[in-house]
Amino acid sequence: MPVGTGSTVGALDALADVAARPEAYAAQWKARTGGRVVGILPMNFPREIAHAAGVLPVLLQESREPDTMGRHLLAEFYCGFTRNLADSAAKGALDYCDGFFVADHCTQLLGAVDVVRAEAPGSPVFLGQLPPSLTDEWARGEARSMMRTFVDEMARFAGVPVGDAALSRSIALSNDNRTLLRELFAARRAGNAALSSPQLQAVVKSGMVMDLAEHTELLRQVIQGLADLPRDNRVRLHLSGHLCHAPRPELLAAIEECGAIVVDDDLFTGTRWFSTDVAEDGDPVEALACWYLERDRTAPCPTRVKHETDWEDTLVEAVEASGAEGVIVLMVRFCEPHMLYYPELRKRLNERGIPHLLLETEHEGLPVETVQTRVEALLERIRRTAPVEVSR
Amino acid sequence: MTAPTTDKSSRLAINKAGGKMVADYWDRIFTARERGEKVVWYNGSAVNPIFQAAGMAWCHGEAFSARLAAQHLEGPAQLAGQEYGYVGELCSYARTHLGCAVLSRKRATGSANGTGMVGLPEQAELAGRLPTPDLFVNAYAGCSTGQQWDDISFRVFGKEVPIFNVSMPFMWSNRPGEGYMVGEEWERSSRYVAEQLRELTTVLESITGRPFDWDAYRQNMAYLKQASELRQEAMRLCRLTPAPATFWDWIASVAHINFLPASQELVDFFAAVKAEIEQRVADGVGAIADERYRVYFDGFMNWNHLGLLAKKFARYDVAVVAGRYTHHAFWQEPQLIDPEDPLLGHAQNNLLCPMNHSTKTIERLVLRDCDYYGVDGIVFHSTRTCRAFTNPQRLVAKAAQEKRGLATMFFEGDIADASYYKDEVLDSRLTAMLETIDVRRARA
Amino acid sequence: MSHYLGIDLGSTTAKVVVLDGHGDIAAAEVVQMGAVSRAGCARALDAALTTARVRRGEITAAIATGYGRRLVPDVDRTFTEITCHARGVAAMCPGVRLVVDIGGQDSKAILVDSDGIAENFAMNDRCASGTGRFFEVLARAIECDLDELAGLALAGEKQLEVSSMCATFAETELISLLAQGERRTDIAASVHRAVAARTLGLVAQVGRHTPVVMTGGVARNAAAVRALAEALRTEVVVPSSPQITGALGAALLARDGAGARGAGESAVDAREPARSCASCDMSAAHGAGR
Repeated sequence: MPVGTGSTVGALDALADVAARPEAYAAQWKARTGGRVVGILPMNFPREIAHAAGVLPVLLQESREPDTMGRHLLAEFYCGFTRNLADSAAKGALDYCDGFFVADHCTQLLGAVDVVRAEAPGSPVFLGQLPPSLTDEWARGEARSMMRTFVDEMARFAGVPVGDAALSRSIALSNDNRTLLRELFAARRAGNAALSSPQLQAVVKSGMVMDLAEHTELLRQVIQGLADLPRDNRVRLHLSGHLCHAPRPELLAAIEECGAIVVDDDLFTGTRWFSTDVAEDGDPVEALACWYLERDRTAPCPTRVKHETDWEDTLVEAVEASGAEGVIVLMVRFCEPHMLYYPELRKRLNERGIPHLLLETEHEGLPVETVQTRVEALLERIRRTAPVEVSR
Repeated sequence: MTAPTTDKSSRLAINKAGGKMVADYWDRIFTARERGEKVVWYNGSAVNPIFQAAGMAWCHGEAFSARLAAQHLEGPAQLAGQEYGYVGELCSYARTHLGCAVLSRKRATGSANGTGMVGLPEQAELAGRLPTPDLFVNAYAGCSTGQQWDDISFRVFGKEVPIFNVSMPFMWSNRPGEGYMVGEEWERSSRYVAEQLRELTTVLESITGRPFDWDAYRQNMAYLKQASELRQEAMRLCRLTPAPATFWDWIASVAHINFLPASQELVDFFAAVKAEIEQRVADGVGAIADERYRVYFDGFMNWNHLGLLAKKFARYDVAVVAGRYTHHAFWQEPQLIDPEDPLLGHAQNNLLCPMNHSTKTIERLVLRDCDYYGVDGIVFHSTRTCRAFTNPQRLVAKAAQEKRGLATMFFEGDIADASYYKDEVLDSRLTAMLETIDVRRARA
Repeated sequence: MSHYLGIDLGSTTAKVVVLDGHGDIAAAEVVQMGAVSRAGCARALDAALTTARVRRGEITAAIATGYGRRLVPDVDRTFTEITCHARGVAAMCPGVRLVVDIGGQDSKAILVDSDGIAENFAMNDRCASGTGRFFEVLARAIECDLDELAGLALAGEKQLEVSSMCATFAETELISLLAQGERRTDIAASVHRAVAARTLGLVAQVGRHTPVVMTGGVARNAAAVRALAEALRTEVVVPSSPQITGALGAALLARDGAGARGAGESAVDAREPARSCASCDMSAAHGAGR
C-alpha cells in the first residue's frame, strides 16, 4: 500500500537520507551557503538562537559506527550516546562542526563534552547550564539570564549581531515547523497507519539537522499527499523514554514486526521535540526562557528537577488519548535520570492496570531475539487468550 | 580472593575513638524523633552547619549509604530498592539510600513492605532506624543524578514533605582566565550559591518556628575552619617519606569533617590526628611496614572494601599517600571562610566539590598533588555507578603519563555495590604497574 | 481422538509434550543437544510421537516455544517461553504465583495470575551469572560431574565469600579458594548461595509473591532449590518434571484453541491440572522447600 503520492514518497526519502547521514547534509549545506555549522548537544539548547545568527544548528545524535577509539576515553558504563559522542570526536567525525553549544547538565554528557573539548581543540565549546531545578523562585530569572548569554555567545561565534527581530523571525519559523510535525503525529494518534515508527523518526531527526525552511517545505509535501491508511488489529503501543537520542530504527522495526503498531510516544525524537511552541509576542529572549520552563510542563522530563508536574500523569493521559493497549519503556542503558524516575512510572502503570515492558537499549549489538521475545510476551499478555499472529 | 597474610598496614590509632564518635552520631539521629527534633534529609554539599545552627537533626543520605556499605549491611537496602524498581546500574549511593527511604516510608505509614523481599529483621537493622524527614534539602554540585535524587525521595514520601533546592553551577571554565577559584564564572557562581544558602535559612525558620541563629552559625563555621586547617596540615605531613598516614586513614575521618557537629570536640579530634602523625614523623614510623612505592588514589571510595584495600596495598608495600576524594572535598579551602561573615566562604567550599570541575581543572589539581606528594603512580578507581567521578579519569591518566611520566592503572569497583568489585583485576594490574615502576627506576 | 503438540526448542535441550483429548500427557520427551538444532528437535518429536502412538498428521494443533521456536517446522503458532511456562506451571501446580526458571543460558522470574497468564516477568539472558552455565564453571573448577554438585553443596558448612558473578572471573576465584585449602563442599555450597542471591535480584523486579515454583534444568539440583528457598525465606516447589513445563504449556495453549487460526476468546481453564503429575499438589512434602 503506498503511503502517499509520489511527491510524498520523494519527500520522505529525502528526509530519511538526511536523518541517516547528517554530516553529509551539513557538508553540502556549507558548500552551498558558505555558512558555519554549530553542533548542539541535546536537549534544551534552543536552535532558534543559532538560526537567528545564520548558523546551521545540527543536533548531534549517535552515529552508526561501532565505538573504537572512544572506548578508551570514557568507561564502558556510559550511555550509548555519550560514549559514541566521545568516539566520534576522537575519530574526527565531528570536524564538520565549527563549534559546539551545550545547555544541559547530565553528568555523562559533561564527561563526553570534555572529551570533545580535548579531542577537537580547534572548535570552541560553550557550556551554559540552564537551571535544572525548575520550581525555584529564581529559576525563571536564571533561565532568562542564561538565554541572554547564549544569544551573546552565538553572536560572538557567528561574528554577527543577533537582534530581537532576527530571533522573533526564527521563533516563528520554528513554531511553523513544530506545528506541521504535530499534525503528522496527531494523524497517527487518530488512526492513520500510513507511516511506520522508523519513518516518523526520520521525519523528526532530519528536522534536527536541516535548514528550517527546507525541512518545513518537505514536511508540507509529506502531509499534502499522505494516504489515510486505517489501522489493522495489531496491538497498539505507546513508546516511552529515550530522553535525548533516537532509538535505533531497527529496534522500532523489530517491535512493530512482532505484531504491534506504535500509536504514540514520548521519545525525544518524537513528541518531546515539538511539544511546545515559543511565544511569538514580547521579548524573544524572555520567550525562550519561558519555553524552557513550559516545555517541561507539557512533556515532563526526568532530567529536570520539579516538584509539581508528574511525568506519570502525562504518560497515562497520552495512553488514554491514543487508545494504546500497552507501554514499552525504552530505557537507554545507564541513563540515570530515567533509572531514577522509572519506579514512579511503573507504580502508576501498575495502579492503572496498563500492561508495560521495560526494554534497555544500547549503542551496539541489538539483540533482536531477546527484544522480540520480551515484546511478544507483552503482546501475548495483552491479547490474553487471543493468539498473536506472528508472521513467519 | 587471595588469603590475607600478615597485616602490613598500621592505621592511625585515633581512628578507633573516631569510629565511636560516628557511631554515637548515628545513634542520636536514630532517636531524634524521640527527642522531638526536626529532621532534615539532604544530599550533596555540606550544608549541615546551617542545619546545626537551626537546631535540626541532619541526615546525609549518601553518608548513610557509605556507612551501610562499610558495615556490609547494604544488601537489604539495595534489594528493597530493586523491588521498588531501581535498576542495578543506577548510582549505588542513591539506590541504597532510596531503598532505605522506601522501607522507612512504609514503616511510617504502617503499610506492608511490598512483597517482603526484605525480611523484618533486616529492616529493623537499617532503614527502619532512619527517622522520617520534616524537610528535604538538595545542594548537589557536579552530578546531575545527585541533583535529581532528593526530588525522587520527595516522591517516595508521597510529596508530603517540603523540599528546598540549592542549584550549584558546574565550574566548566569556558573562557581563558576561568578556572579553579578564579574568573567571572567563579565569582558569579559563588554569589549565586551564597544567596540560595541565605534563602535556606529563612526556609528553616518556617520549619522550626525559630529565628535562624546566625551567631551559632558563625561559631560552627569557625570550628569547621579550624578543624579543616588542622586536617590539611596533617595531610601535608604525608609528603614525607615514609608517609606517616595514608588515604585509608583520611577515609576513616571523612565522616567527621563532612557531617559531624561543628564543635570543640571536632577540632580536638583533628588536633589529635595531627599530633599522632607528628609523633610518627618524630619516631620515623610509617603508615605501612615497608614503603617502597607511593601512589595517588583517584576515585570515589569503595566503601564495601575499606579493610581489604588498606591491607592489600600495604601488602604490596604501596603507600597510598593522597587522593582526589579526600583531599579535594570537605572544606579544603578553609582560608575562604571569614568567621565574621562565613556564608560566601561556605558557598565557595561547597562549589569546590571534587566532581564539580572541568577535566582541565581536575588534571591540574591531580598533577599538582602528585608533584607535592612525590608519587610514582596513580591508581584510578573506575566506579561502575559513579560517572561524575570517572568522567575525567581517562584524560587525566593520559596527561599524567605524558606530562609527568607517571605509571597509571585502573581497577573496577563501585562506591556501595559490592558486586561490581573485581579483586583479580586490581591484583594483576597493580602488580603490572609496580613492575613498570621498578623497570623505570632501574633505568634511571 | 484429538492430540495436541507442544514443542519447546531451547538453547541446549529440546522438549516435546503430546496431550490427548482429555488433557492427559500422552508423551513427554527431553533431548539434550549441543546447541539449538533441528535434528535434536526432530529426535525429541519422533520419540514423543512414538510413545504417544500418534502420527504427526494426526495432531490437531501444535505450538512451538523456546529460543528456537521459529525454527520448528509445521506448527500453527509460536508463543514465547514466558507465556508457555506460565501456562504449564499453572496447570502443574495450581495456585502458583511466582515461577523461577533457571535454565542453561538464562534465568527468568515470571509472575503468574490466576488464569495462568504471565502478568509480569524479568529475564537475565545477558550473561551467565545466575544461570546453569555458572554451575558448569563450578563443576569444572572443583573437578566433578554436574550431577555430583548437589551432593557436595548439601554437605557444605563453611560460608565462603564468592563475589564474582562473571563466569570468567569466578573460575579464577574458585580455583584460588581451592588453592587456599578450602573444601570442595564448602565452595560448592557457597556458589549455590551466591547464585540464589543473584536470583533474588531477578525476583525483586517482579516481587516476591508466593507460592513459588522453580523450573528449568537447575531445578533438578536439590541444593540449588534449597539455596533459593532459604534466600526467599519461603518454600520452593519443584514439579516432578521441571523441564517440560514450557512444552506442556505450549500443548495446553494448543488445546485451549489458541492454535486454531482466527480463534477469538477461548476458554482457558488454567485451574484444570494436567493429570499426569498427581504428586504435585503444592503440598509441603513435595519439592525441597523448608
